[in-house]
Amino acid sequence: MESLYLLIPLSAGLVLAIIAVFGWALHKGQFDDLEAEGARILQDDAAPVDADQYKFEPAREQSRVLKTPRS
Amino acid sequence: MANSAAVATPKEGVYTDSVVRLFSLAAVLWGVVGMLVGVIIAAQLTWPELNLGISWLSYGRLRPLHTNAVIFAFGGCALFATSYHVVQRTCQTRLFAPGLAMFTFWGWQLVILAAAITLPLGINQSKEYAELEWPIDLLIAVVWVSYAIVFFGTVGIRKVRHIYVANWFFGAFIIAVALLHIVNSAAIPVDATKSYSAYAGVQDAMIQWWYGHNAVGFFLTAGFLGMMYYYIPKQAERPVYSYRLSIVHFWALIFTYMWAGPHHLHYTALPDWTQSIGMIFSLVLLAPSWGGMINGIMTLSGAWHKLRDDPILKFLIVSLSFYGMSTFEGPMMSIKTVNALSHYTDWTIGHVHSGALGWVGMISMGSLYYLIPKLFGQKQMYSVKAIETHFWIATIGIVLYIAAMWIAGVMQGLMWRAVNPDGTLVYSFVESVKATFPYYVVRLCGGLLYLSGMLIMAWNTVMTVRSGKAVLAPIPPVNATLAHA
Amino acid sequence: MYPATAVTSDPALAVLDDPAEFGGCTRWLVDGQGRRVAETVLQLSGMYCAACSGLIEQALRRVDGVRAVVVSAATERATVCWDPQATRPSALVRAVQAAGYGAVPDAAAPARALRRLAHRQALWRLFVAAFCAMQVMMLATPSYVAGPGELEPEMRQLLNWGSWLLSLPVLAFSAGPFFSGAWKALRARRIGMDVPVALGVAITFIASTGATFSPEGVFGHEVYFDSLTMFVSFLLGARYLELGARHRAAEALEASMARLPETAWRVQPDGGTEAVSLHRLQPGDLLRVPVGQAFPADGVLEQGHTRADEALLSGESAPVDKPPGAAVVAGSTNLGAPVLMRVQRLGGDTRLEAIVSMMRSAMAQRPASAALADRWASPFLWAVLVLAAGAAAVWSVIDPSRAIWVAVSVLIVTCPCALSLAAPATLVAAARGLARRGVLLQRLDALERLARVQQVFFDKTGTLTEDRLQLRALRLSVAGHAELGDAARAQALAAALAAWSSHPLSRAVVDAQAGVVPRAGVDALEGWVGLQEIAGQGVQAFDPQGRLWRLGSAAWAGHGEACRAEADSGDAQVVLSCDGRALAALDFEETLRPGTEAALQALQQAGVRVTLLTGDAPARAAALAQRLGVQDVRARATPEDKLAAVTQAQREGRCVAMVGDGINDAPVLARADVSLAMGQGALVSRSQADAVIGSNHLGDLVRAWHTAQHTVRIVRQNFIWAGSYNAVSIPLALAGYLPPWAAGLGMAVSSLVVIANALRAAR
Repeated sequence: MESLYLLIPLSAGLVLAIIAVFGWALHKGQFDDLEAEGARILQDDAAPVDADQYKFEPAREQSRVLKTPRS
Repeated sequence: MANSAAVATPKEGVYTDSVVRLFSLAAVLWGVVGMLVGVIIAAQLTWPELNLGISWLSYGRLRPLHTNAVIFAFGGCALFATSYHVVQRTCQTRLFAPGLAMFTFWGWQLVILAAAITLPLGINQSKEYAELEWPIDLLIAVVWVSYAIVFFGTVGIRKVRHIYVANWFFGAFIIAVALLHIVNSAAIPVDATKSYSAYAGVQDAMIQWWYGHNAVGFFLTAGFLGMMYYYIPKQAERPVYSYRLSIVHFWALIFTYMWAGPHHLHYTALPDWTQSIGMIFSLVLLAPSWGGMINGIMTLSGAWHKLRDDPILKFLIVSLSFYGMSTFEGPMMSIKTVNALSHYTDWTIGHVHSGALGWVGMISMGSLYYLIPKLFGQKQMYSVKAIETHFWIATIGIVLYIAAMWIAGVMQGLMWRAVNPDGTLVYSFVESVKATFPYYVVRLCGGLLYLSGMLIMAWNTVMTVRSGKAVLAPIPPVNATLAHA
Repeated sequence: MYPATAVTSDPALAVLDDPAEFGGCTRWLVDGQGRRVAETVLQLSGMYCAACSGLIEQALRRVDGVRAVVVSAATERATVCWDPQATRPSALVRAVQAAGYGAVPDAAAPARALRRLAHRQALWRLFVAAFCAMQVMMLATPSYVAGPGELEPEMRQLLNWGSWLLSLPVLAFSAGPFFSGAWKALRARRIGMDVPVALGVAITFIASTGATFSPEGVFGHEVYFDSLTMFVSFLLGARYLELGARHRAAEALEASMARLPETAWRVQPDGGTEAVSLHRLQPGDLLRVPVGQAFPADGVLEQGHTRADEALLSGESAPVDKPPGAAVVAGSTNLGAPVLMRVQRLGGDTRLEAIVSMMRSAMAQRPASAALADRWASPFLWAVLVLAAGAAAVWSVIDPSRAIWVAVSVLIVTCPCALSLAAPATLVAAARGLARRGVLLQRLDALERLARVQQVFFDKTGTLTEDRLQLRALRLSVAGHAELGDAARAQALAAALAAWSSHPLSRAVVDAQAGVVPRAGVDALEGWVGLQEIAGQGVQAFDPQGRLWRLGSAAWAGHGEACRAEADSGDAQVVLSCDGRALAALDFEETLRPGTEAALQALQQAGVRVTLLTGDAPARAAALAQRLGVQDVRARATPEDKLAAVTQAQREGRCVAMVGDGINDAPVLARADVSLAMGQGALVSRSQADAVIGSNHLGDLVRAWHTAQHTVRIVRQNFIWAGSYNAVSIPLALAGYLPPWAAGLGMAVSSLVVIANALRAAR
């Protein structure tokens, strides 16, 4: 079953890549406060455009843009 | 609501919906076309005279046109439209590289056109759902990479830190399809319209069905689940039943999908143990699939009455029931003993179409019905009654289709394996074909109904577009007004 | 007129602006323009509807200097980004309070951040293990399903290599805690739970690696990467669930602790006072202590003459006289008059300290049963290791290719997961169930001792009784009848006068009048002049006719025959007099906490001895004991006396529980086998006790006792199950009938059974 010599290393590599993606998501706080995030899409999105977008950089951590405050 | 930001640079403060609009309309168009071809080939199976002796109208050449049109043209455009829409709304930013996004539209239409020309001409790689020859494959790869750049680029410039679950499904779909396409379409070209697959014999079969099943899993499932996780909460005006479960659902699906392929190859030259693995992991797939279905349906928990009056919600929720049905039927059919009966019969066709018409078709229709009015400055489609009518016609059509195919399939399987005491076959193949005839008629009726529903949708869409106009949707400010509910 | 001095929240709000106070819940960020902004987390209260978060957000956004607000209704927290140049934390809290809600600094934020980190680490390890386990299982399945000769050797090699590769992250990363735990145990010369786990994992991996890379070699050609990864995943899953349970318990504790910061009023050199945080106090500071506030530190009275309520310290419910020069103790309440005190010692009884240390201990706590289990587990584990080694030795003679695998199976199947989970899982579940009902368990193993309790010692003041007095009766003298007519009018008049005093007795008079509709004229003291509170004596005023009315101590207000009758009871007494003639005597008594009588009856009926231990006067103690139906009373007990009583009971072989609340109870709580503190009690008692009765309802004590017995039964069931499982599976493993994958599966199933049974304890 020679095709498996292609498919198995491919899926092993894929597994490592998937684990890396999960790790990135976990450590970037993607899995914090889940229920609130689920409801966020239902918020009113017809508000007027405001030039002052929320974009703060943490004083201690280097070059990481804070997108929403952690609560 | 003119303010300095919006007036001075309108392009910056609004979403890129032009390409969403184009893809949505294209989806409706190709839906009609693909289903029409489907009806034609169904008629040809019933009355072979309808092949008319014309090579480019023959069943063998129209069938891949049908599959490609409904999966890649209809399904593909619906996915493009909704993924571009959802990623912008959930990231609260315009598309990354809008020019490239527009290229993906025209590139994809070119792919479809090329398919529409080459397939009836018999230019075919003979790989299921991957029939298109190598120049078109290259174009697909280019378009797909551009798609990935636009989609992931948009996620990268998002203003909201959390990446909504639908985007995970879309993202996985995009990457998986890229991987599958590139690996499976590897070929050695001979001339502009002919190539040989890089793999041969049973090895090619394994790779082909590794592609084939994962195409179903990622193109037809993960992608549309992304659609589901956005449009159902939006239409029902309630959050997903359990957002946590949706995340678990995603990762569980990713875990298990890669190995289900061999169940397409039971009792073939594929080694027994490979077939067994395919069977086992197809069964394992049942759990995450049903988790997602329950999550979507239970979103309506406490608001079931909305189903009564809202036909769009009917489309969306009923699509999930078909999803559940298909993801139960599939694992059952991948069990070797069951497969021994069902393989090569019309039961397989029934299974495909319950998933395609029931899940893919209906979730796309529901999502497009939600989306199209908003893209044209309308509160709802031109005629809500027409949506309701479409729903019922489509549902009856599906039921007729799959019931006919189940009966035909089981009957064929039983007839083919019926053996006399002396070991000879009871029935000749032709006898089973004759016996199938009435079911092909019923299936054709089902398909006709489904096509009629699609035609109603097309009419409704045209009327909606005509009475509306393209709107510029403003991007709201992030955070200052947001509350976690 | 002179209003009753209530300690408003305002001084505390001012103190909030001290970086020492709000630093714990604030992060500093830099915005797009390079300006420094603060991000503070506030714990909210009073949110009952979906609209509340929107209202709070609006209120906060209206404060000048607030850049952004996010309110989470689910966690009841507000995260506010504010400009330190434009506003301060006190303004934020005030805005929320103005909107009708409560807001306090989220002092638990650092603890929560630590928990979140721990949770992430655990989830990360678990995911890597489980994901790899799934893939390894897929790669291992062909070996199981293929018939003999179907799978070519090269294909088998490929699958094994793939499995090996995917097991590496599991071994190197996910299984890390087991290896480090085992190493720590070995270094301490013990055999801990992690040792057989680590050994089993390591041996399986090494042997499987050998089988992968040299199938002809000594390790044979069977690989067990799937068992290995599944085994690790399962253990990590169990630990993850346990971690979640512990964190939930810690959060429950935190939720009950959120308070505004404590303040002290420091006198400045120029004579003015400033509100300062307790953190800023130093010995030698001169503090002004208003009436009704607790003394913030140990010290000496420099100016003023007052009375202090030292019930928390001595149990004595009568106030203690404090002339200038007297020593005052941190935590006692100033009752009589505003005074100035000089700080001598700062106690460790600050609330923030207590919170942080409680949090740390709750988090770091590996269920003490682990320590407990380790004690008896050690011989068991030694036996396991010996058995495994022995099996390897024996089998290396019978069939060398199986020697290693039999040993591995023995190690895995005896992995005392079920045994190690039996107690902790049950205790954690029970703790959760109790927390939901208001009893916060701080030490899990206390439950086991609570189940065995034979005698309960109760403190009186603050434990059985609330720390408020209530008006028992108002008796009119003959003169009183003549002047006022009826008791109701006397009471109304007394309440009107008492409203101008913050003395606890005055409050009791006012409380007794609550609900009675005031009548115009007399009740509102219209036309009365010269109303003032005399420190240490009472309240007096002149009525429109010019007569001097007094409400206060008998010695000061005036004697009369009505007053004498109850004088010996020892209960506090207040007299209402007019021009020196006593018109009415008001008798007070301690309020019993609701549910006390029923609780004590229930305990006694169940055969538990109940003893009342109090520092209060014998007469009062006896009266209360009679009310409650308790025979055993020890009154005027000093902390040493209480300690001696408990020790004596223990020497007589009884398992003793102590329920108390005051600072004086702390040493006794530490000595008793099981200690419970009332939720309203002194912090030092609460932090030392095994459990805190947050609801202050003694019925919950009885319920906790029943839960403890239920829990112990379940723990016993779990041990029996785990033991039987081991008794059956070890011989099977030794005899070679249990391949590692079956051993792993058996271990998994038995642990699941234990956890499922444990969850019943939460009910």
